[in-house]
Amino acid sequence: MSTSNANFKNKCVTQVNCIFCESLLCTRGMKAVLLADTEIELFSTDIPPNRTVDFVASCYSTESCKCKLRDIACLKCGNVVGYHVVAPCKPCLLSCNNGHFWMFNSEAVSTLNRLDVTGLNLLLWGDLPELDDSENEESESPLEEECIRDEDICRVCFSPLRPEL
Amino acid sequence: MCYQYEYGEYGVTVLFLGQTEANTLYCLFKGRYRFFPAGLPLLVILCNKMAVVPDSGVLTFSIFKWSSYSSTYLPENILVDKPNDQSSRWSSESNYPPQFLILKLERPAIVQSITFGKYEKTHVCNLKKFKVFGGMSEENMTELLSSGLKNDYNKETFTLKHKIDEQMFPCRFVKIVPLMSWGPSFNFSIWYIELHGIEDPDVVQPCLNWYSKYREQEAIRLCLKHFRQHNYTEAFESLQKKTRIALEHPMLTHLHDQLVLQGDFDVCEELIDKAVRDGLFNQYISQQEYKPRWSQIIPKCNKGTSAQEVNRDDINSDGDDNRPGMRGGHQMVIDVQTETVYLFGGWDGTQDLADFWAYSVQENQWSCISRDTEKESGPSARSCHKMCIDSQRRQIYTLGRYLDSSVRNSKSLKSDFYRYDIDANTWTLLSEDTSADGGPKLVFDHQMCMDSEKHMIYTFGGRILTCNGSVEDSRTSEPQFSGLYAYHCHAGTWSLLREDSCNAGPEDVQSRIGHCMLFHTRNRCLYVFGGQRSKTYLNDFFSYDVDGDHVEIISDGTKKDSGMVPMTGFTQRATIDPELNEIHVLSGLSKDKDKREENVRNSFWIYDIARNNWSCVYKNDQTVKENPGKALQEEEPCPRFAHQLVYDEMHKVHYLFGGNPGKSCSPKMRLDDFWSLKLCRPSKEYLLRHCKYLIRKYRFEEKAQSEPLSALKYLQNDLSLTVDHADPEETKEFQLLPSALFKSSSDFIPLGFSDVDQTYAQRTQLFDTLVNFFPDSMTPPKGNLVDLITL
Repeated sequence: MSTSNANFKNKCVTQVNCIFCESLLCTRGMKAVLLADTEIELFSTDIPPNRTVDFVASCYSTESCKCKLRDIACLKCGNVVGYHVVAPCKPCLLSCNNGHFWMFNSEAVSTLNRLDVTGLNLLLWGDLPELDDSENEESESPLEEECIRDEDICRVCFSPLRPEL
Repeated sequence: MCYQYEYGEYGVTVLFLGQTEANTLYCLFKGRYRFFPAGLPLLVILCNKMAVVPDSGVLTFSIFKWSSYSSTYLPENILVDKPNDQSSRWSSESNYPPQFLILKLERPAIVQSITFGKYEKTHVCNLKKFKVFGGMSEENMTELLSSGLKNDYNKETFTLKHKIDEQMFPCRFVKIVPLMSWGPSFNFSIWYIELHGIEDPDVVQPCLNWYSKYREQEAIRLCLKHFRQHNYTEAFESLQKKTRIALEHPMLTHLHDQLVLQGDFDVCEELIDKAVRDGLFNQYISQQEYKPRWSQIIPKCNKGTSAQEVNRDDINSDGDDNRPGMRGGHQMVIDVQTETVYLFGGWDGTQDLADFWAYSVQENQWSCISRDTEKESGPSARSCHKMCIDSQRRQIYTLGRYLDSSVRNSKSLKSDFYRYDIDANTWTLLSEDTSADGGPKLVFDHQMCMDSEKHMIYTFGGRILTCNGSVEDSRTSEPQFSGLYAYHCHAGTWSLLREDSCNAGPEDVQSRIGHCMLFHTRNRCLYVFGGQRSKTYLNDFFSYDVDGDHVEIISDGTKKDSGMVPMTGFTQRATIDPELNEIHVLSGLSKDKDKREENVRNSFWIYDIARNNWSCVYKNDQTVKENPGKALQEEEPCPRFAHQLVYDEMHKVHYLFGGNPGKSCSPKMRLDDFWSLKLCRPSKEYLLRHCKYLIRKYRFEEKAQSEPLSALKYLQNDLSLTVDHADPEETKEFQLLPSALFKSSSDFIPLGFSDVDQTYAQRTQLFDTLVNFFPDSMTPPKGNLVDLITL
């Protein structure tokens, strides 16, 4: 799941700040568009931003596709700033994507293009060091309690397959 | 308008209840009922519910202190209500305790309620748990409220404690302490606060006066207690004479005199005896916890005994069929008048059953009323049906059943409704299909209750059985739940009281399966709680007044009080005791395989209807095998689901039969064990014996110092009489007592400045112990003056 695709190497690395309280959310952001609705712009990142955001509420899906999502909020002010793709749906996974699973809504953040070591040029994603595969895998594991258990439950109406007998 | 009346030195409110023939006024005064001679200018009227309260208004306050704040989320923001502005709130810097806001009221006021404003959307920083304190000074505050907010966008108002014993007290400072937010890692936020109460000086000033008098009175009582403990007799008498304040009820002063000063133990025993007989220990008893006592019932074997009246069976050579076989999903009802438990149907792991049994508690025997009720014009074999009994008319009703999906298309989905007449031993088909009669469709896992008084039956919930693969109905995938119906037994008609509704209106009810429903015969309300709807576990709790056709929501189940209420998702069986005003819930195994842990045991809860609170009687997590003798006593039925629990409210006994132990290795296994459960609190007799034991034990120890031989005799005779030698703990303690005979030097350290000797000190200790059994209104203050001194 690394950003090896040439299209993404030339994109700027942005610093993402919470628009409400101005605290730093992430230093490895990428401006992107939503696969399911290319009108929507947002900022995505590959590493789970820890110590700056945390999950709120529970998983949900949108009408546009079957990806399982969960909102994230800024730890400082508690406002929702984006979401995490807990489990992508097959069509989205197979289409061209930047492999990022953490998204920030553009209305909730303020961003800054980062500069490279020289301080003269913009820092690009191609310049960033590659991540270990193991690191990425961790962020994909869905939270157990949110998954629908398949056994014992009717997949259609979710009632238990047997009453108390 | 509220009136205050100054009576004696107290400025308190008095509730006028009525005038007696002797021209005296009967009133509620300081939490006690009193008679006042008429002619006193008695004005007041403040009653718990029918209050004529003074105008309660919005109180003005300012921010006095805060623990921290982050960014632009200043404490002052709570003074302004702007739900659509995410920055209009106070937010703490972190969620490490202590976090708080202290508000200072412009004027001392009686703070009656607090309102929390919210943001227009749910927000993770909303307070899931918080406490509110109040007081006249910052250092001296008392807890007024412990609660939590819902994570939504609606304002919430809470009543604050503002009375002590019917007397209102004022506050100048209010402290809000957030304890937990809805996102555990997030900071605490408060959007808007409003305080309501009474500011009118005409009302507040007398309360302030009362408050300072009350504090002074309690301080004096603490002094009196201290003086007496240390035998500063002159100081004690002088203070008492000057202030005329009573340390305690005269009966206890008399007890103190006889016990501590005179050492007349016989008189003390007589005093305690009288106190118990006068019911003075009842308050203590009611505060004690119940201890559950399960015992497995081994019924008498039927073989070889002469024909009994109860036995209508045609037992052939099948020999051992003298008790019901293993099953789950059966139904039991109990006829309290004759102490008979009736059991019908169920699922034995392979097929539905149609046998009908009666258990006589007196005879300790099962008898089979019918091997197959269908053969006797009764219901066919079934499980997950519901039964209820009309003890008055001696009739049993049954409705509903479960049909496997494989047979749903072939077998009729008509909801048949039967009645069994106990005395005539006949079944009557009341309806071939209640749905055609305006009643419920065929359901399972519903609930049914009998109202003998008005001859009505109420049924609620359950999942409606439908045909599979029906092409026309595109919504067959949605499970349908049955609403609340009433059956008028006399007329034989049904009426729909409430449809299943997912609306949140005050009179709407949401239907469900696997819930508990009980009918309270005294207040004539149905109590409904728990259950499941598709994959959601419900934990709301509401009551339905059958006469007033009114739904009252007791708890909407959104506040997660885990550990404080029976957990959802675990099969619950509930019974009700209208006399004690309690609901009993046995919570066992979860149907859900994933929720079943190896060590889960039963838990037993009691809901006090009047006080609206749950208490856990026991919650066993592992088997205790330390003391083999005790293990038998603590033996209890293994956790299970699909069992039945009934309650005999006259004799205060529960009965439990069968069920599914949920063993994944043998899924067809069902149980056939039969248990009784008694909930025990210490009785008056036990307490009396216990107090006598304490007095005599002390008397023995005192005697042991001076006359060891005489003491030994006393131990063997009088003291031994007060010990229950069948109880291992009491026996053990008794056996250790003789060691007092061999103690030579005493390790008594005289207290500082007082001249009390060991005898006085120890007798005082015994007095303090005995006093605990009396109601608080009679006793000296519990605290001690020396405890107020900190290093």
